[in-house]
This record gives sequence, C-alpha cells and structure tokens, in this order.
Amino acid sequence: MNIPTDDHQSLKDEIVDLERRLRDAKAQLSQHEPDITPSAIRNDAALHPLLLLADSALPLGSFAFSSGLESYLAHHKPSLPSASQVSAFHTFLRLSLSTLASTALPYVLAGYRDPWNIETLDNDFDASTPCTVARRASTAQGRALLQVWDRSFKTQYDGATKGNHAQTNGVHGGTNVAVDALAAFSTALRTSKNVNAHLAPLWGLVTRILGVPLHDAAYLFLFSHARTVISAAVRASVMGPYQAQSVLASSELQDRIRGLVEEGWNTKVEDAGQSVPVMDLWVGRHEKLYSRIFNS
Amino acid sequence: MASYTSPFAPSTSKPGHGSIRIALLPPNTPVLRDVSYQYPLKLVAPDPLSPPESSPDDKSASANRHVAPSLIHTIFLLTYGGGIVAGDAINLNIRLDKGTRLILLTQGSTKIFKTADPKLVSRQKMSAHLQVGSALCYLPDPVQPFASTAFAQEQIYTLEDGGGNLCVCDWVTSGRSARGENWDIYTYHSRNEIWESPSKSNGKKKLLLRDNLILDKNGQTALGIVARMDGYAVFGTLIIHGPIFASLARFFMVEFEALPRIGGRNWGDDTIVPELSQREKWRKEREKREREDGLIWSAANVRGFVLVKFGSRDVEGARNWLRDMVKEEGSVGRMFGERAGMCLK
Repeated sequence: MNIPTDDHQSLKDEIVDLERRLRDAKAQLSQHEPDITPSAIRNDAALHPLLLLADSALPLGSFAFSSGLESYLAHHKPSLPSASQVSAFHTFLRLSLSTLASTALPYVLAGYRDPWNIETLDNDFDASTPCTVARRASTAQGRALLQVWDRSFKTQYDGATKGNHAQTNGVHGGTNVAVDALAAFSTALRTSKNVNAHLAPLWGLVTRILGVPLHDAAYLFLFSHARTVISAAVRASVMGPYQAQSVLASSELQDRIRGLVEEGWNTKVEDAGQSVPVMDLWVGRHEKLYSRIFNS
Repeated sequence: MASYTSPFAPSTSKPGHGSIRIALLPPNTPVLRDVSYQYPLKLVAPDPLSPPESSPDDKSASANRHVAPSLIHTIFLLTYGGGIVAGDAINLNIRLDKGTRLILLTQGSTKIFKTADPKLVSRQKMSAHLQVGSALCYLPDPVQPFASTAFAQEQIYTLEDGGGNLCVCDWVTSGRSARGENWDIYTYHSRNEIWESPSKSNGKKKLLLRDNLILDKNGQTALGIVARMDGYAVFGTLIIHGPIFASLARFFMVEFEALPRIGGRNWGDDTIVPELSQREKWRKEREKREREDGLIWSAANVRGFVLVKFGSRDVEGARNWLRDMVKEEGSVGRMFGERAGMCLK
C-alpha cells in the first residue's frame, strides 16, 4: 500500500482544493438563504431554558417520587413472583398521565397565563389535593423549583429578559410581571403559613419567566412526569434502562402527551379534577407499604 | 313578552328547585322555617326527633360541649319516578342557622336514567350554607348511573367564618351490575367543594376543599371508562369537618394508621395470640371483611378536614364497611340518632 511521495502530495493538494470549493459553494448558497441563521438564533433563545428544565440533573428531587407507581405495583403483585410487571406498568403510566393532566395541567397553564393569581392557584391546588402523600411530593418539588430559580436562574433571567428574550418568544412584555409575582410569592412563602408552593402553578410561572412557549411548558410538564415514572420503574426493577428509553421515545407517548395538552388547553382550574379515582387510593395508601424506596 | 301580565300570582319556585332553612328559636329550639320544592324534586320532612344524647345525666359526652339543640330535623331528598331523567336539573338550597342540625337522607340509590343524547347532561346541585355551630350529616345511598347516561352533580358547602360541622359522603356505583352494566356511562361528574364565606377584611371567599371526580371520554387512555376503574364497582369520598365530628374524624385516622402494612410478611407470630381488646377484635374482623369484599380505603388529615376515600368490588361491601365504621365509633348515633345512618342499612 505504498503511495509514491509525489502522488501523495498531489492527493493532499486536491483534498485541500476540494474542501475550499465546498466551503465557497456553501457560503454562496447561504447568502441566498438569509433566513437560516437568524431563525436558529431565535429558536435557541427558547430552546436553552427548555434544555435547562428538561435536564434530569435539575435538582427538583423528582427521583425520590414514583407518583403512586410503587404502591400500584404493591397492589398488583403478580401471582408468580417472577412474572413480568411491564404490562401493569404501561397501564399505570397511562392512568398516571391522565390523572396529572386532569388535576395539575390546568394549574400549569393558569400559572403561566395569570402570574398575579399565583397565591390563589397555590391555595386552590392545595385544597384539591386529597392526600398527604401527593401534597408532600408536590410541595417538595415546588419548593425545589423556587430554590433553583432563586439560586441559579434568577441572576440570568431576572433582568436579562427585558432585552432580546421576551420579544422573541411570544411572551410579550409579560416577563417582568411574572418576575414580580414570583418575588411576591416567595416573600409570602416565608411569612405565611397558608402558602404551600405546589409544583404545577409554579412550573407555569417559572417557564413563563424563562421564556419557554406555553405549549412547550405544558408538554415538558407532562413529559417530565412520564420520565420520572419511567425512571422509577427502572429502579423498581420493572424494566431495564434501554426499554425505558424506548418507552420514553415512543410515538405512543408523544401522541398521548400532545393529546392531553390539547384536551386540557382550555380547561379552567375550577374544572380540574380526578379522572382516575383509584389513583387517590394508590397514592394515599403509599404510606401503608411495608417497604418503600420512594417518597410517593 | 314583557307587556304580558299573568293573571296568576307570581311563582317563585322554578322546576327542580327546592329550599330548606332551619332556624333557631332561642334558646335552643330549631324550627323548619322553610321547606319548599318543585317537580321533579321532592322533599319529605318527618317529625324531628330529640337527640339521644340530650338526656341531662349524660354530661360526660364530649358533644355536650357544643350545646346540642333540643330537636334534630331529618329531610329525605327524593325525585319523582325514583331517579333523574335525561335533562332534569335539580337545584337545592339549604341554610342552617347557628346551632341547628340536619340529617339528609335518600330513599334508595339515586338512579340516573339513560339519555339519547350524550351531550344532554342531567344536573343536580346542592348548596348548603352553614352558620357557626350548625351541623349537617349527609350519609346518602350511592348514585347509580345506568348505562348511556350523562350526569353532573355539585355539592357546595359554605361555612360561615369557617365554622360549621360536616359529615358528608358522596359515592357512586358502576350501574346495574345485575344487568351486566359496568361503568358504561358517557359522563359522570361529581364535585364537592367547601368554601369559607367571604371574609370581612378582603371580601373574598376562600376554597377550603375541592373533591372533583371526572369520568368522561377525555384522558387519552385509549381505553373505556371501565378500564380506569381497576375492577372496582364503587368509589366514595367521606368528608368530615368540625368539632362536632372531631371524634369520628380521629377514629378514621386511627383506624387508617392501624391498617396492616401492604406486602408485609407473616412471620408466624400469630401462634402467640396476645389478649385482644374489644376494639382490636373488631378491627381484625373488619380487616378480614375488607379483604373478602375487596375494599380498600385511605384517610388523610388535610386543611382541617379528614378526607376518607374508599373503593370496593361491590356496593354492599362498601355500605357495610361505612356503616360498621360509623357505628363502631358511635358518636354520630349518639348525637344524631339511628336515623342518620339509615341509608347505610
């Protein structure tokens, strides 16, 4: 495989030449399509916070909660201990997403749309959460989200949003209102016993401040829940990590989340409620489990 | 239309509307000031009874602290034809003055009849306003929506200044199981809300509790309603609030705490049977019945309420369980009389 030195050099030259011509051709082409670069910039202003919130390293402590999965599995022990619980898990995931969409999604949307109402939303969500276990899980994550906002995001999004951000993503001029509402809420949380800091309305408010479009915020809320439940299933030895990723990637899950966002888009918080009554029992009886690896 | 003058006296009653008001004649005699109703709603008020606990020698009873009224009224909520027909709308207003007590009852399950149009939703609304120190005990028969029905009900309780005492149950069954009906409904919504009346400082009413059940085609489960029910034929919620029912509330919490752990092992300790108290014996037997009837339940103490949720494989299992719990604790019977638990028999 020895190539003579001259040939070697000429081949190298040719490669350099070809690469230069490719670069030039691309440059010429992009001059005729001036839209590519600006739109990419516009998209990543909204993409960046979405990636922050979708990161499983976001310290909300979600890994500690199974949202009733652990209790559900304990209530549905297969007759043979070796039998697979995968199909039971799929049923649970479906029901769990349905419940979250009917009970919490309206509060996410309202928290985003109506920042100054956050305290009432927080109270009403609290009044609508019937069991101690679910309330604990919701407020733990809501308070954690406030912490992340306060310690990590605030410096970046508090003032910077006045500039390019708010105008480019469709939340026109509403970001500062939301920042003020969140600051007032944080103060109330420190001073009043009646403030709980539930995750759903705060998720709406924080995503608005970060400039995530409403639809994405709602989609991500449900997606994160699905991811948490699926990840709990891995740790409860229901399925392996690759199978878990394939459930998460499936078009079935995508269609479901999309459909739920669409269904709930105009649901008023007054009409939020439980669509799977037995879910309250599974979640409520979590504390009766003999052994537990999750907090919910 | 506006110029037309009816020769008849104006009627204030609208179809399906009803109202109940119990006032208190000082010092402690409650009177049924108003009980009116219009087709298809019907209210029946039997003679009020003296509460069993009013005997003066029973001073140790905890409820005596609440100055029991001399009489307790009972009202049966009925509908003509024994059920709710497609398109019916019932609207009942209840007002309980300071220190009065009311037992609300039904006569058999509230049957919801078939609708030709799934969009035609029958409705039943009850608004109850409770002054401080008044009490409502509402342990009805379950709602029984037949196949192909659309029904929505609301029970809205307003507690004046956050006072008032409640022991109210709301439960629903899967239909006529003898006919093979199993949650074959179009929609079933049931809302229970408890509000604190508007405060004098900011004029805003505050939501204390909302329990909203929504069964309809939404939810993207790609399954019928029955597939969400996990084999249960009954779901119910019992809401308990206020000093008069504090003992009952505590009882449910204690019993929930005492439930055996799910998935716990039997280490064979049963051979050494310790001396069981009467309550412990009852508890063991009740737990056995719960297992046989496929009944599961939970209780939570939230925001000054005890909220009990239960599900059961069949109606009678749930009815027996609820009666057993209320009877074993005993305070409802002592304060309101046996009548209060009539629908659980």
